[in-house]
Amino acid sequence: MELDLDESSLAIGRIERALSRIEKSLAERAERGASVQPTSDQSALKAEVNAVIGELDRLIAEANRG
Amino acid sequence: MADVRLNIAGRTYDLTCADGEEPQLQKLAGLIDEKVRAIPGSTEVRQLLFAALMLADEAQEAKAKVDRSEPQSDSLRAAVALAESRETQARDELAAARREIEALKAAPPPAVAAAPRTTHDRALLQIADRIEALAAKVEQSA
Repeated sequence: MELDLDESSLAIGRIERALSRIEKSLAERAERGASVQPTSDQSALKAEVNAVIGELDRLIAEANRG
Repeated sequence: MADVRLNIAGRTYDLTCADGEEPQLQKLAGLIDEKVRAIPGSTEVRQLLFAALMLADEAQEAKAKVDRSEPQSDSLRAAVALAESRETQARDELAAARREIEALKAAPPPAVAAAPRTTHDRALLQIADRIEALAAKVEQSA
């Protein structure tokens, strides 16, 4: 895989920081006792998470194929 | 002009020829005399007739041999021409390859920073955008 190291390193750094923010928010919410959200917001969030995970899986598979 | 004396079949012939041609005439007279002497026991005229016939036969045979070898000569000439053409082509290709090598040596190395983004780079940036947006949504909902 031929990468522009500056660009890819920057993108990976952004991904790591965003994941940390998500992890931190979820941990805080769990500590507070999980306030119930509207169902439509939860579904949209799940769909977005699934889409991002799918995109990551595709990227990893492409990188493995070289 | 030069005077030359030829001896053929025991008879002497005095002739005039161009300057410098005497040795050649002597040589030809020798050939005729040799043929005449190979035909003994006949009149001089018949000896000369047979010598002329034998020499004409040899001349015809020699001409036929030359004619037969001409196609072969043509093939050889064609082969030589083809070989020369290929040599020229090979020299041209070699010169072109040398020029290409020199140009490559002279050219500056490709700038890594200027390389276009790959599909993976773009995908990584898009994912970073989406995860950051997701993080913002999660933070808002928390």
